[in-house]
Amino acid sequence: MIDPALGSLGAQIVLAASSDENHPPENIIDGNTETFWMSTGMFPQEFIIRFAESMKIALVTMHCYNVKTLKIEKSISDDATDFEAISEKEFEHTEGHLQTNDIPLNGTTATHLRFIVTSGYDHFVSVHRVSVE
Amino acid sequence: MVKLRSRCLLVGDAAVGKSALSQMFRSDGAHFQKNYSMTAGVELVVKSVNIPETSDSVELYIFDSAGRETFVEACEKLWGQPSVLCLVFDVSSELSFSSCGRWLERVRAHCQGLHIPGVLVGNKSDLSSRREVETSVAQEWAQSQGLQYHETSAKEMENCEAPFLSLAQLFHALYQDRLQTIQNLA
Repeated sequence: MIDPALGSLGAQIVLAASSDENHPPENIIDGNTETFWMSTGMFPQEFIIRFAESMKIALVTMHCYNVKTLKIEKSISDDATDFEAISEKEFEHTEGHLQTNDIPLNGTTATHLRFIVTSGYDHFVSVHRVSVE
Repeated sequence: MVKLRSRCLLVGDAAVGKSALSQMFRSDGAHFQKNYSMTAGVELVVKSVNIPETSDSVELYIFDSAGRETFVEACEKLWGQPSVLCLVFDVSSELSFSSCGRWLERVRAHCQGLHIPGVLVGNKSDLSSRREVETSVAQEWAQSQGLQYHETSAKEMENCEAPFLSLAQLFHALYQDRLQTIQNLA
């Protein structure tokens, strides 16, 4: 499986609402679940992934911790504008291990995906990896 | 370097000096409003606090919420999910101190079971001859509720920064703790 969300394949994070120098948002697309992006307080929190080119997305897989509700929006423009909502999920709370969730997107086409964490199970959430198929 | 953001709820009975305290804090003591003006809704004060001995800071979004009963219900809708709590009473009013338990319950109902760091502030410490609440009594109650206790006088510019610095430090410590937990998961 090729994962175009990987930074090494040209994907970029173009925006993140929070940043701890030691846990930057690029950790979301480095393909490694041991590194992570950490939110630094208050909700909502969001980040936007830009793909190297427009692509069809069947499924997004997200590894995270303490995320309660998540909204996903997509854009088909080149400059991250005109987002439209495509999915909304509530994740189960986990303790002692990461939350792993598959979100089917039914082959939708996008150049950007925007992830909005609207609430969490704690004051802070972390996102370890996002991959797409 | 980390810049944290914290939603700080500022509550307590009407006229205990919540707005005076937050304005003194915001203006570094330059602005004490002598005439009372009642807060009818929620006023937002934003100020960043540096955490000593680190390069980190906490940006406090202080929600100065009306104390008068008539307005409380409407204000509660704006509280959202608080990060930290600043609960204020007037040391010259036993009544305002006895309301603190009720305020705490109200706030906790918004926290969805989440622990939020908090401070109890006895304001108007300059009114020593009219004092009705002894420091030791307030201190003891604060401790029993897991709150840090501070006494301030917004009028005399006494100690007004301390409660907010405490809250910033508590929130920063919470972040470090959660970060550690998450690092251990990976």
